[in-house]
Amino acid sequence: MKVSLFVTCLVDQLWTSIGMSSVEVLRRVGCEVEFDKRQTCCAQPAFNTGYREEARQVARRFISIFEESKAEAIVSPSGSCTAMVHHYPELFADDPAWLERAKAVAAKTHELSSFLIRVLKVENVGASWNGRLTWHDACHGLRDLNIKSEPRTLIRNVRGAEFVELEHADACCGFGGTFSVKYPEISVAILDQKIEAIERAGVQAVVSGDASCLMQIGGRLSRNGSKVRAMHLAELLASK
Amino acid sequence: MNNEILRSIRSHLAASAPHDAREQVSRRLTQINADLISVDLRQSAADLFRLNLEAVNGHCVIAQGDTDIARALTQIIADLQKTNLRAQRIAISDNPIVERLMYLTDLEIEALAIAPNDIFSYDVGITTAQAAIAETGTLVLDSADERHRLVSLVPPVHIAIVDASRICETLGEALSLLRNGKELSRAVTFVTGPSRTADIELTLTVGVHGPQELYVIINR
Amino acid sequence: MSSLTSETFRENAKAALADVHLRGALKNATSLFGERRKEAAASLPNWEALRTQARAIKDEVLLHLDRYLEEFVRNAESCGAKVHWARDSAEANSIICRLATERQARIVVKSKSMTTEETHLNKALEAAGMQVVETDLGEYIIQLAEETPSHIIAPAIHKTRGQVAELFTNELGMPPTDDIAQMTRTARLALRDRFAAADVGISGVNFGVAETGTIVIVENEGNIRLTTSLPRMHIAVMGIEKVIPYFADLDIFLKLLPRSGTGQRLTTYQSFITGVKKQQSDEGPEELHIVLLDNGRSRMLAHPVTRQSLACIRCGACLNACPVYQQIGGHAYGSVYQGPIGAVITPQLMGIEKTSQLPYASSLCGACREVCPVKIDIPRLLLHLRSEIAPRKGSVAERLAFKVWARTMMSPTLYKLSSVAGRMFQRVMPISRAWTNARDLRPIESKSFHDLWNE
Repeated sequence: MKVSLFVTCLVDQLWTSIGMSSVEVLRRVGCEVEFDKRQTCCAQPAFNTGYREEARQVARRFISIFEESKAEAIVSPSGSCTAMVHHYPELFADDPAWLERAKAVAAKTHELSSFLIRVLKVENVGASWNGRLTWHDACHGLRDLNIKSEPRTLIRNVRGAEFVELEHADACCGFGGTFSVKYPEISVAILDQKIEAIERAGVQAVVSGDASCLMQIGGRLSRNGSKVRAMHLAELLASK
Repeated sequence: MNNEILRSIRSHLAASAPHDAREQVSRRLTQINADLISVDLRQSAADLFRLNLEAVNGHCVIAQGDTDIARALTQIIADLQKTNLRAQRIAISDNPIVERLMYLTDLEIEALAIAPNDIFSYDVGITTAQAAIAETGTLVLDSADERHRLVSLVPPVHIAIVDASRICETLGEALSLLRNGKELSRAVTFVTGPSRTADIELTLTVGVHGPQELYVIINR
Repeated sequence: MSSLTSETFRENAKAALADVHLRGALKNATSLFGERRKEAAASLPNWEALRTQARAIKDEVLLHLDRYLEEFVRNAESCGAKVHWARDSAEANSIICRLATERQARIVVKSKSMTTEETHLNKALEAAGMQVVETDLGEYIIQLAEETPSHIIAPAIHKTRGQVAELFTNELGMPPTDDIAQMTRTARLALRDRFAAADVGISGVNFGVAETGTIVIVENEGNIRLTTSLPRMHIAVMGIEKVIPYFADLDIFLKLLPRSGTGQRLTTYQSFITGVKKQQSDEGPEELHIVLLDNGRSRMLAHPVTRQSLACIRCGACLNACPVYQQIGGHAYGSVYQGPIGAVITPQLMGIEKTSQLPYASSLCGACREVCPVKIDIPRLLLHLRSEIAPRKGSVAERLAFKVWARTMMSPTLYKLSSVAGRMFQRVMPISRAWTNARDLRPIESKSFHDLWNE
């Protein structure tokens, strides 16, 4: 199957190994991966902060680029960015022409774990990683896209990995986009609950499907001098 | 004045109309099962009622006929008299059944009064209940049928007598009974257990403004 | 504490975060109520169907609110209730003060009512020379302490038993103790004679049934029953959105409300009051006055996204589920309505001028939407409010930043240049400083994914 990778601006700029790992995993399960170099951002930052006009401009560009793709699916290593694309119809509710195009692109856009399990029906990607790890449910993936069992299935099939369920795995990490810098004290207070649960779990790594959560969690872990590694699901699945 | 609020409502709803067309509005289902219990044929409504009442710190006795009820009343009050709840001054509702039952008991008490004005000086209030709800352990007090609004509320102990035949299985049934009976009564109260609060440090305390003890005698 | 406003939300939040005791109390309260709610919902196999039905009923009412209100008023008045319409807080307070004054009331007993806190009724009554006594235990405690509620269900949750005991010793002469049952008994006794002496009882309304004109009020303590049956005048204050169509609909709402708020199957008491007693010799008040309050609610009807705010049944589930509320509690919001629902209602009731921080005080996690018994999509509402606030109240710097951002994201060249600039200036950007106070920041990669792909 041919897929078009939507790597997301965050991964592109700040965590390229997530992008490389995603490509590795998709190829390993037999996909042909194309990467449209014109891509930039899904417009989530503007939409979330309330700048809908600016969000629409960037969303139109996203739609124009990706609707040209001959790939059967657009796949992204981010639940929140995928959820944003799924919100495009709401952005264009008053614009019938763009509304249809938005719906078409949204229907083709999938988050990575959801794509592997629900579309490709693949549960084992041949990964191996030794150690004890846990999973953090990123909010948009969980509540907007209903992604819950899919990552767990994929992780359980990683050879050598000992998976433990995190206490309150579905509790927010406190990132919330601009919230993390508009209200940093609250953001960190929320984060510390998550960090405490991670430390209590006695794991070597905490895995999640969103780079934003991982930056938040990883940033605090490293500030604390913790040995726990914040790892993206793609990086885990790409491991051999 | 009322015109202004209603006008405001109408004009704002009108402004919403073009947006409403694009929203998915769910319609109410004509039939919905809101029951808490799947009808458990092995358990009678009375038994289910008792189970649920006891779960919220209420006491329940099942009796059969006047003599039996009177015996239960005697036991309850005699036990209470040994505690700091006294049970010496008893207020009863104006339902003649209650008075009759009290005379069948053999109790040593200081005072017995029907819906007295100085209700705050009484230790126990005894009333009947017009109905009950099994799925929640709830009593239905209908003020149109009995003068028991204060007798059931003010004294620290409330004893209620209810016919087993008046126990509805569900809350929905009880609401229907009230709505579709004769004219809806002006004041109906549902009572589920003794009064409670957790306002101080989330610690459950039983007995706040309403009664501290609730006894229900079911007459089978 | 009662002088906190929404304008200083961030400062309020910082102060709350520094209050170790408060944070402990919040953790206990929110996790207890949250766990109980979860169990209560799980124990009902048709929980989801109930939620859907409740929302459908609310949507139906709100779409025809004028008609249902008129029906409610007609039926209530036919049973002897007097209905008054209050356009705003000032009018509501003025109506109530007039009624109480005409009654020559000296003592007014009150049960817990968010709506009366919204209008600041107590201050108005006191200014009119009346003694107002809050009778709900938690409200009574904070009234004595001269504070405001920190949680919608448990208003005094921020106070330790020691603090309550000290309060009761100082104000009520209670012998020192740390026994909670003893403190409760003290409050019960102190309030007993207030109930008996009161001329007027004021309550809120949980539901107003259009079909019958019945007002329904739920509680655990018994103070509402006392407030609404002892004094000769009962004034019930009801937001216009509280109306529901049919008496039978109560089955749905009475099952959702207690379970969502505290995990209870049912609260101890429900009072169903329809008009006034038929005979003078019957028990109960001689007069029932229902004050219908608008105060900005009708404005919310103007768009389906905002209209759903009015479906709220004030259960408090969203507060307990919210990661922000769990950390900072209610006072920080600087308004009567707190937590997620407060963040969306307060700006709509009070206007965005002074409340513009509130819709941004959320990580948009969606936990609130998951637990709301009437399925209010709070994140969608927050985003809607942000889209109204940003263009008008966003700082010049922020508005400019997003214009630049948009241009950058529209042009591959500018996008590439931005990463170059980012690598150079990352550490000194104000945004970075807010981050790096407590978290390490990943440096911008020396080669972007775009670069790597090209290789």
